[in-house]
Amino acid sequence: MILLVAILAGLVVGLSLARVQKRPWTVPPLRKPWLVIIAFLPQFFNLYLPATRTRVSDDLAAAGLIVSLVLLLVFCWFNRRLSGVWLLALGLFFNLLVIAANGGFMPISPQTASRLVSPESLAALGNGGRFGYKDILLLPEQTRLIWLSDHFLLPEGFPYQVAFSLGDMFIAAGAFWLMVTQGKPLEEALKNKPKNKIAKESEC
Amino acid sequence: MKTQFAKLFVFSQKINRQHIQVAFALLALVLFVLGASAPDDGGLIPR
Repeated sequence: MILLVAILAGLVVGLSLARVQKRPWTVPPLRKPWLVIIAFLPQFFNLYLPATRTRVSDDLAAAGLIVSLVLLLVFCWFNRRLSGVWLLALGLFFNLLVIAANGGFMPISPQTASRLVSPESLAALGNGGRFGYKDILLLPEQTRLIWLSDHFLLPEGFPYQVAFSLGDMFIAAGAFWLMVTQGKPLEEALKNKPKNKIAKESEC
Repeated sequence: MKTQFAKLFVFSQKINRQHIQVAFALLALVLFVLGASAPDDGGLIPR
């Protein structure tokens, strides 16, 4: 949920820029947006929806997550000409890489997780246990590509604590950039020139 | 009641294809970010 702040911030900055430049703000002309909805479905049923997530085995949930991320990469390919999408794709690729390398879930170390939940809850989960929606508790020495795992935390003073990965940071930056530039290259967005080509492509 | 229905009808006529496209694109972007990212606040686990 914290990454939705990036979209909201991009929307506010994009709208403000458009207002200053006295031009209309338009939503990024995404191609094949229905692909995202299809890609999200396995995650929705396997990881998020309480009625179904408890009935799905870990193996199926892991496979569903990887299929979902691959479909999202395909969506990035169709939208590769929009500015910001390469950042989204890079972040997604990093997350896919570390998730695939660690059995289909995002690894998080007990040390990082201890900042999010009580020690009793952590002890009850044990090593290798599912943590949250997409994470799995793994010791650092058991984690592959640890630098891509959920090991970043907000500063201790923050009232809301969340663990996130390098890929998540790229995704947040990409979403922000996409909203600010409306998918156009920045020079064009700043020059205030409409690009018919992109608009036509979005209709496909 | 009739006035409210009339207002609703007028409002629904103002929703055009472009509004739906904007809403759909925003929904796609939100779902993309939710789907592609993997931050965790331990929300499912008791604190």
